[in-house]
Amino acid sequence: MKKLILILTAAVFAVSCSDNLEDLNQNIKDPTAVSGESLFASAQKQLADQITTPNVNFNNTRLFVQHWQETTYPDESNYDQSTRPIPDNHWREMYRDVLRDLKEASINIAAADNDITNPLKPNKLAIIEVMNVYAWSNLVETYGNVPYSEALDIDNLLPKYDDAMTIYKDLLVRLTAAINSMDTSKGSFSGDEEKIYSGDVASWKKFANTLKLRMGIILADADGAAGKAAVESAFASGVFTSNADDAGYAYTAPPNGNPLNNNLVLSNRNDYVAGKTIIDLMNTLEDPRRGSFFTDVNGEYIGGVIGDQTVYSDYSHVTPSILGGDYPGWFLQYAETEFLLAEAAARGYSVGGDAESHYIAGITASFDFWGADGLAGYLANPAVAYNSGAWRESIGTQAWLANYNRTFASWLSVRRLDFPVLVKPIDAESGYPVRYPYPVSEINLNPTNYEEAAGAIGGDATETRLFWDKFDNTWGF
Amino acid sequence: MKTKFSGILTLLLVLIVQLAFAQEKTISGTVADDTGLPLPGVNIIIKGTSTGTQSDFDGNYTIDAAVGQTLVYSYVGFDTQEIAVGASNKIDVTMQAGSVLDEVVVTALGISREKQSLGYSTQQVAGEDLATVKTNNFTNGLSGKVAGLQIRRNNNFGGSTNVVIRGITSLTGDNQALFVVDGVPISNRNTNDASQKNSSGGNYYDYGNAAADINPDDIESVNVLKGAAASALYGSRAASGVIIITTKKGKKSKGMGVTINSNAQVGFIDKSTFAEYQDGYGAGYGGQAFTSEDIDGDGIDDVVSNYLDDASYGPAFDGRLIYQWDSFDPASPNYLKRTPWVNSPNGAITFFETPVTLTNSISLSNGFENGSYRMSYTKLDQSGLLPNSQIDRHNFIFSGTFDLSDKLTASGFANYIKTSAIGRNSTGYNDNVVGNMKQWWQTNVDIKEQWNIYNNTKRNIGWNPGSSAPGTTPIYWDNPYWTRYENYQNDGRSRFLGNFELNYKLADWVNVTGRVSTDTYNEQQEERRAVGSVPTSFGVAPPGVARPNAGSGYLRRDLTVTETNYDLMFNFDADISESINVAGILGTNIRRNEFNSIANSTAGGLVVPGLYSIQNSRDDIPKSQEVAQKVGVDGVYASASLGFGNVVYIDGTIRRDHFSTLPVDDSSFYYPSVSTSFVFSKLINVNAISFGKLRVNYAEVGNGPEFDKLFNTFDINIDTGTSVPSTANNPNLKPERTKSYEAGLEMRFINNRVGFDFSYYKTNSLDQIVQVPISEATGQSRKLLNAGEIENKGFEISLNATPVKTDNFSWMLNGNFTQNKSEVIALPEGVEVFQLASYQGGVKINAVPGQPYGVIYGADYVYNDNGDRVVGANGRYLKTGPNEKIGDTNPDWLMGITNTINYKSWSFSFLIDVQQGGSVFSLDQYYGQATGLYPESAYINDLGNPVRNTIENGGGFINPGVVNTGTDENPVYVPNTTRVDASEFGQFGYAAYPQSEFVYDASYVKLRQASLSYTLPSKFLDNTFMTGLQFTVTGSNLWIIDKKTPYADPESGLSSGNSQGYITGSLPTTQDYGFNIKAQF
Repeated sequence: MKKLILILTAAVFAVSCSDNLEDLNQNIKDPTAVSGESLFASAQKQLADQITTPNVNFNNTRLFVQHWQETTYPDESNYDQSTRPIPDNHWREMYRDVLRDLKEASINIAAADNDITNPLKPNKLAIIEVMNVYAWSNLVETYGNVPYSEALDIDNLLPKYDDAMTIYKDLLVRLTAAINSMDTSKGSFSGDEEKIYSGDVASWKKFANTLKLRMGIILADADGAAGKAAVESAFASGVFTSNADDAGYAYTAPPNGNPLNNNLVLSNRNDYVAGKTIIDLMNTLEDPRRGSFFTDVNGEYIGGVIGDQTVYSDYSHVTPSILGGDYPGWFLQYAETEFLLAEAAARGYSVGGDAESHYIAGITASFDFWGADGLAGYLANPAVAYNSGAWRESIGTQAWLANYNRTFASWLSVRRLDFPVLVKPIDAESGYPVRYPYPVSEINLNPTNYEEAAGAIGGDATETRLFWDKFDNTWGF
Repeated sequence: MKTKFSGILTLLLVLIVQLAFAQEKTISGTVADDTGLPLPGVNIIIKGTSTGTQSDFDGNYTIDAAVGQTLVYSYVGFDTQEIAVGASNKIDVTMQAGSVLDEVVVTALGISREKQSLGYSTQQVAGEDLATVKTNNFTNGLSGKVAGLQIRRNNNFGGSTNVVIRGITSLTGDNQALFVVDGVPISNRNTNDASQKNSSGGNYYDYGNAAADINPDDIESVNVLKGAAASALYGSRAASGVIIITTKKGKKSKGMGVTINSNAQVGFIDKSTFAEYQDGYGAGYGGQAFTSEDIDGDGIDDVVSNYLDDASYGPAFDGRLIYQWDSFDPASPNYLKRTPWVNSPNGAITFFETPVTLTNSISLSNGFENGSYRMSYTKLDQSGLLPNSQIDRHNFIFSGTFDLSDKLTASGFANYIKTSAIGRNSTGYNDNVVGNMKQWWQTNVDIKEQWNIYNNTKRNIGWNPGSSAPGTTPIYWDNPYWTRYENYQNDGRSRFLGNFELNYKLADWVNVTGRVSTDTYNEQQEERRAVGSVPTSFGVAPPGVARPNAGSGYLRRDLTVTETNYDLMFNFDADISESINVAGILGTNIRRNEFNSIANSTAGGLVVPGLYSIQNSRDDIPKSQEVAQKVGVDGVYASASLGFGNVVYIDGTIRRDHFSTLPVDDSSFYYPSVSTSFVFSKLINVNAISFGKLRVNYAEVGNGPEFDKLFNTFDINIDTGTSVPSTANNPNLKPERTKSYEAGLEMRFINNRVGFDFSYYKTNSLDQIVQVPISEATGQSRKLLNAGEIENKGFEISLNATPVKTDNFSWMLNGNFTQNKSEVIALPEGVEVFQLASYQGGVKINAVPGQPYGVIYGADYVYNDNGDRVVGANGRYLKTGPNEKIGDTNPDWLMGITNTINYKSWSFSFLIDVQQGGSVFSLDQYYGQATGLYPESAYINDLGNPVRNTIENGGGFINPGVVNTGTDENPVYVPNTTRVDASEFGQFGYAAYPQSEFVYDASYVKLRQASLSYTLPSKFLDNTFMTGLQFTVTGSNLWIIDKKTPYADPESGLSSGNSQGYITGSLPTTQDYGFNIKAQF
């Protein structure tokens, strides 16, 4: 009997000591390794979504520039950025869903093959770098100082913030290197992977130069020499020259449809009408693009009072022409380019032509883009004519109109040029938002570095002007 | 793998069978009390084994035992007797009323132990106490009955119940107690979408928790193993405590016993848990303005109700004739007709139906020479409060035991459960009809007219149309009947659980048990939206991709859950000397869990209306979401108990668990416990003290990581796209560890008429496996780390007393009191606040060091140094930032008191259940006060006028508080005198107040249940075929005697899970009345 017990005891231990139990812990449904190209595809889509979406939780810049106005729930029109944590959500999208995947894409593609068997590799890496710079520059332009040199590292949970201007200049260096490494005689990503230019490298080179132009202009008031150098080298290397160059992400259908379609059409909600600010100006100018931007109410264009509750049916709505599921998500456009060049010329930079010619080219490009007639009459309007003595107002106003539906681009322009004059929302929760406050998650999760950054930029308020935003507006709020 | 283990086990079992030989005999007899009345249900076990039986209705029993063995007779309220088996085959026993001490209870791994020998706290609830008053989830019936156990039932139809023992120990793990049915650990998995639990988005359902499948009529008893020492033999599963369920068994008796049980129950809404509307104002946001629109086509604008607005902050009811929502559609009897502007005669509360639950069961049990069996079938039919809601459940159970020889016994049970449900209520914020009525409603809407127009047209003609054109889809909210009858979900679950066990007696002092048990179920969930509904985010989407809005669609989720356990266990029990007894266990447990699921949905709507299939998708079918998980744990354990003269007992246990979810080179961990019990009443001889026991224990238990937390995989999200997942896994994880100390004192006095059981405990849970939220500048949102510590300490008291006891009359009182203080001791380094959930309305449930687990964060009022609320220049309160502590979800204490009064054949019992403290945030009030639904936004102000009058007309109100007339640095506070205009939306609810305004005290006092039963005296049945007949009238949730949370039950929530304390659109509570007949043959 004792022997039996011994045997059984041994058996007890035997059955419980299996050797490869840990094999059970394998995820057999999700990949452990993926291609860099597939990571790039996701990152590009996420970036397109984030700069295109009108979702109140993610991007309210159309409200900030008073192109649109909310109907029943005007919280965000009144600059409420905390009921829905917009600063948190934008930060998350950019760092986690765009930059992290771009980083992984770069690593994977760099490691995938050698340059001889994969001649497209340098171009792919250059395009990834351009997307990187686009996303990083947006972060700096939106928050100010942000984690950069220590960011995107899972082993450093408390990344320090870098000085915004230092980051910005480094981005210009990276961008220039990417431009120089592009070989237009070769291809890059396939159309499945890259949905702006289907991988066309020449187009990407123009895109990169146009982005560099914009970044140079943004630097202009903070560091004129650096701004001028960037603008002029970008122009010399070749920026957008027609609407055909426009960078639009090719949306298809849900869930890969344009976020405008999801939020304004598929939702069947009536959350937005035209803003009174843009409608009043366009009415004054009798701007022929009114009908391209908005619908009319019995032949009239009526905008909702900024910050007020508005009855949907009483006001002009967003034109259905931009609400299709396959309407592109715009990264950069030619009209925007011409206004940037006009500003460069007004500042005395050498960009082939004077400020007025670029200004007119910008308006012309916008009319073409929106398919509006009556350009000549419009340009003849003294209120439209370029005024070199007040170039900020001329360029600011027309760029603001041309940048309709260009979320961050229009907000950048308004903040930099301080024109047109925007109105105080009737129930404003703050002064005019010239940056996003830092995310609440950073206050909780990266407190020391957050405090330091908040101090360095002059306080973590939505009214704190960033390093490139040198002029106080005269709007009175 | 599995086959290898089971193969070895089979071999072992065969070995046992071959060794079997016979030398037992059958003992029979009658058990009676000291007055000669037969005692049914007396536990009779062979000492040192788990073999036993119970006396039947007439006190008769039979048991197979060998000469020289000792039979132990135990029964609550009587002294336990031990009688050695001698030559006689008949043993009649007279039990002496007296000490309750020698009660036998079921402990970890199903081992029966004398309660007095236990060095830890357990509490038993008789199955009858759970089955008398029916609830569709037997765990609800435990509320208020067990010290240290917190039951929180939300009101969802067929919804899940939160079952937590002695507080939350794991920051993010599953803190629900483990349920074990006759040795089979069963799944209590809550398969709800993660988004359901934090209410983000809409259209989520509470699919309930799987323990609800157990049929209360089949439960003999429930034992709650509270502390870590009690459950230590379960090792890595024991951290949240264990609830051991013993099912009813067949009894060795003469003839077949048949029991028929029939129960009907009807519910009525407790009106204090639903919205009560103001009755003066109807649809609108903008005060007295109506909409102007030409409805009749005469070219002149007409007066129209603000049908677009989902609020009641509109014009005062004045009876004038205007066009309303029902004027727009030709199918409406009021088409192009104007109707009076009045408060609705049929408010939203008339939407609810009368829930009815019918439970019918039949059970047979029989015993014979070598064994016994029991089988039963129960059918539950339940209709819910909401239209078109129904749950059906069929429950078949068979259990039996058979003596293959006098040494070898085979036993097992098989339970098949089929549940189907239709029309569960949508939970959370969007698309929740109850939330609609509690937050965004028009008080002028007549719910009966909504029914009529839906019923007549079967179209979605709502009160909230997007325009006055006929056939327009509603803008924010569907016709509620459309939601219930067209956009309903359904689900079904087929479940088998069972075990097969062989027990072989190797010698008088050792036996071996081998057992295979399994719990497996398939579940299918289907969700639908009919063509013509208000679009909402719907369907499945890959990680990181937002669910697009769709006006129609179909979603299907199939899942299978399986747990299989193989156990082999040696039981030793030997008397070393006259006064020293050694008992021990050596065993192994092999556990394998599998979870598989696949979900798919249509995209972009349906092609053919009314056809709910995946191929009916308008757009390409989105990426399916497929999950396959396997988890294995191999455990070996040993325990030893030393008993010294039935006075001092010392227990030690140790278990080693080898996890599949840990790193290969560090995957085994040990879980020890030691406990002692000192029955000091045996040493002191004080008459008044019938029993006294002191117990102390220490134990460490654990909690392993979940599946696949070590290595990273990528998400496949769009077309050809992939991305780095938002959570970073960690290849160096360790299991969580809970260290627990407990001391207790149990005493009884005056012949056991009064007694108490007191426990004090302190548990520290370390090395928490946490998905730590990290700075997203790292490129990810969370990282898995072992970090953080939670401490729970508290005490529990159970009291029982029999103040009156005569031949015909007795009054018994049972009470229990629980106080648990939780504290988050530490979070992972660098994390100051750990967010457990973030909810609509901007409130967060957080874990913060120095605070209890689960505090509510949001914006608060700004207070000056005097504690006055500071008002801004505009007369409105200033608010702090969004990150202030505004509530604590943990109750201060819980108490339950049961009174039972028996008079002759009558028995009356009622339970008062009390929760003191705890907070709950009400999204209903946050929005509903703003939208002008509640009387709080339409009262007579300090000037004697309606508050919604304009200031010129004497309306408005003054926020009590102070205004700073100085500077920020040198404030000068004066009382606020600024009157705010409340004539339009914006001065109440979320629009004006910080979130803290809507955090309420969750205290309650409830008459939880009451029952009155009459048992026909046996003399009336003597000449019939019946052996017992009992009638019972029951009631549950009869009366919320006191609560502080307005228009809702403070217990209601979203689901079971770690973040509690948030109410949005929960169903009202019902007072349920039932009638029960139980007949035995």
